[in-house]
Amino acid sequence: MYRLALAFAALLALALPAAAEEKPTLTIYTYDSFAAEWGPGPGLKSGFEATCNCTVDYVAAEDAISALRRVQLEGPATKADLVVGLDNFTAGEARATGLFVPHGVDTSGLALPWTDPDFLPFDYGYFAYVYDKTKTPNPPTSFEALIALPPSFKIVIMDPRSSTPGLGNVVWIKAAYGDRAAEIWAGLKPHILTMTRGWSEGYGLFLKGEADMALSYSTSPAYHAIAENDDKYGAALFTEGQIAQIEVSGILKSSPHQDLARQFLAYLSSAAGQKVIPTTNWMFPVVNLGADLPGAFGAPPAKILPVDEASVTANSKAWIEEALAAIR
Amino acid sequence: MPRSADQRSADRTLPYRPLRLLGGAVLALAIAALIVTLFWSITAATTGAPTSSADVGYLIYISSLQASLSTALSLMVGVALAWSLNRLRFPGRGLVIGLFASAIVTPGLVIAFGLLSVWGRSGWLGGLGLPVFGLGGVVAAHIILDGAFAARILLARLDAIPEMRLKTGQSLALDPWTRFAIIDWPALRGTLPGLAAIIFLLAFTSFPIVLLLGGGPSVQTLEVAIYAAVRLDFDLSLAVELALIQIAVCATIIIASSVLAPISSSLDRPTEPRWRDGQATQMLQWLILGVAILGFASPLIAVLLDGIVGLSDVLVQRSFWNAVLTSVGVGAASSVLALILALAIAAARAATVSRAARTILGAPAYAYLAVPAVALSLGAFLFVRNLGIAPDLAAPVVVIIANALLSLPFAMATLAPPFEAIARSRGKLIRSLGLSGTRQFLDVEWPLIARDAGLVLALGFCFSLGDLGVIALFGTQDFVTLPLLMSRALGAYRTHDAATIAALMLVLTIAAFVALPPLFERLSRARS
Repeated sequence: MYRLALAFAALLALALPAAAEEKPTLTIYTYDSFAAEWGPGPGLKSGFEATCNCTVDYVAAEDAISALRRVQLEGPATKADLVVGLDNFTAGEARATGLFVPHGVDTSGLALPWTDPDFLPFDYGYFAYVYDKTKTPNPPTSFEALIALPPSFKIVIMDPRSSTPGLGNVVWIKAAYGDRAAEIWAGLKPHILTMTRGWSEGYGLFLKGEADMALSYSTSPAYHAIAENDDKYGAALFTEGQIAQIEVSGILKSSPHQDLARQFLAYLSSAAGQKVIPTTNWMFPVVNLGADLPGAFGAPPAKILPVDEASVTANSKAWIEEALAAIR
Repeated sequence: MPRSADQRSADRTLPYRPLRLLGGAVLALAIAALIVTLFWSITAATTGAPTSSADVGYLIYISSLQASLSTALSLMVGVALAWSLNRLRFPGRGLVIGLFASAIVTPGLVIAFGLLSVWGRSGWLGGLGLPVFGLGGVVAAHIILDGAFAARILLARLDAIPEMRLKTGQSLALDPWTRFAIIDWPALRGTLPGLAAIIFLLAFTSFPIVLLLGGGPSVQTLEVAIYAAVRLDFDLSLAVELALIQIAVCATIIIASSVLAPISSSLDRPTEPRWRDGQATQMLQWLILGVAILGFASPLIAVLLDGIVGLSDVLVQRSFWNAVLTSVGVGAASSVLALILALAIAAARAATVSRAARTILGAPAYAYLAVPAVALSLGAFLFVRNLGIAPDLAAPVVVIIANALLSLPFAMATLAPPFEAIARSRGKLIRSLGLSGTRQFLDVEWPLIARDAGLVLALGFCFSLGDLGVIALFGTQDFVTLPLLMSRALGAYRTHDAATIAALMLVLTIAAFVALPPLFERLSRARS
């Protein structure tokens, strides 16, 4: 109850002139699980605040897209200095809003070939189907091998309209099969147990044993190995190649603290900041951490399919329609 | 007695209560105005015509089919179960009733996962191979959520049948069927249309359950398309268009139910039953109860059991206890607000016999169920911003109001029938005694509805633990309720934590339902 009282008091206090602030506040719009106490947010906040003489304030939306939508709704009046957690699928759309400025951070130290003048990567992972090694000793090695399995072999996917991995899956199949994408989707149809709203419900179904595989990340097994001491999960790597989700951050044009935001991004992509990422966000770091990257993460997949940002931005709607029509 | 005669005589015996009518009208208008304002806020932010499209015809067809099935089956289950529970007495009955009532306020996803723990491929009874995914699974989950709730509300009406009527029936030695038809049915039918409307709207707009158990894009709802229009396409014009279509469909249902709803019969305090049905009928009642406990309670028990693993982890988290405090605060505030709104509107509705007036007073109470969550969220966000208030500071207030509105239809379904029954059965007495409105409430109405008011508070309190859709955009760093904490845990691989939080929410919910209605009844008896 005292929290509520506080909030009410704060509402009242709004009417009074704000007290002069000693330290600047860097306001970061991000997604829920980034800012959560077990996410990378708290570690990065304390690490950066130790040097910046500033306060870091997270505003957490349901997901990064919602954070972007909020910035769009607020326009230049937004309180946000930074948006952290967009990805290579949404960067094109974010760029088109014209609300972001080039980040200006030196990217030469990054171990990632993907660079962008406006959006700075801070971690990445590969979409992959995760399975239980004890129940599926021989997981499928490609979409076509998956299709060839009996229909009792079930997968859980996510709705591309409401979930990032869901959209990634659509782009993945398009990138791997081009004009044959609809045919692959139709082949997957008998295997699809259900298409959930978000990753968490879908992955939950898989962990509950309702499906043989679930769409997730190649780094998901590392979570179970490290946090739960459970080695039974694996990520099936497909011979078509995997596609990467690269999580990025952007600085807002309207921000009065652009230098501070740039310093934060430099910290986020430094070894000190990157050390926080693997065991909090369960993604690969963008710099080479050497021994600081837990062994359970393994090596990135051998074959990576390129994703063309412009064509994703232009065609994702049509690709989604095509995929949904094929499995309806 | 023919109904028309009943109604005509009611006209002349209703106490004249202009203040009640005015108060109810003002509140109903305020709710309607709030919804219009939220929509206006979105429309003001849109630019031009829709840039994308959605297959609206199919979505309406499949949503209506699913919602109609869910509604019809939930009501049948609800009536059968209420009938059995009304007749049977056994140790732990209060707990069973509390358990049934708690289903509807438990987050849908929790119920769906509980259902899978029992019937899923790896569930306790998974070997039976029941199809849990697809239309059947969605409807089954809705029956568990809504059928048990219907039973709880209908049971309250059966328990309130005046003892005199039962004594007369018993002396006439009515057989079980005739007893149901001429004693129970008139008590139930006033509640059925309102309940049907609520269940239909819940099922029509159900979103996570439909996607989780739907088995693919062939079973969907309009709400998904609206969500996609906002999130994926940022096409606010299309979102508003789709939202208006959804509201139109829902409004048809609400108005139809308002028009169809007959005036409730009289009511009394629950008494110990002295009239038992014959042995064969009792067997049937036990059978219905047994199946219901197996069907309804087993997913909930599965949720509780699933939560044990993570218990020691969760109970030591500071964030958990902060979330408990926040949730209890929000729940208490919004349930009191919902009770006040429902009392005022129900009292106003009971003070008139004009169907049009009753519909106008009652319809806005359902608004929250008809308006898509994402539209509410967006509208509230823009509205708060236009007022110049920082969204994160307004979040608690918005959540309290939104949750009060969310539980209002349920509060109305619970309180409106008894209020009307009192006005019809005791109006003449109230008039002849010349009681003031205040005395009418304190001396006549409150003692009779206190138990229902306790139920409304329990409902409102628990609903506030369950709904967060409205602040999705608000940025809720320090304002974390239990469901939000649960979804955060689920989104970060922490499935055990999520299962434990779900189980503890369920415990809190059941406790509220078991404790609050009797507590209020006792309080009212102490007063009078």
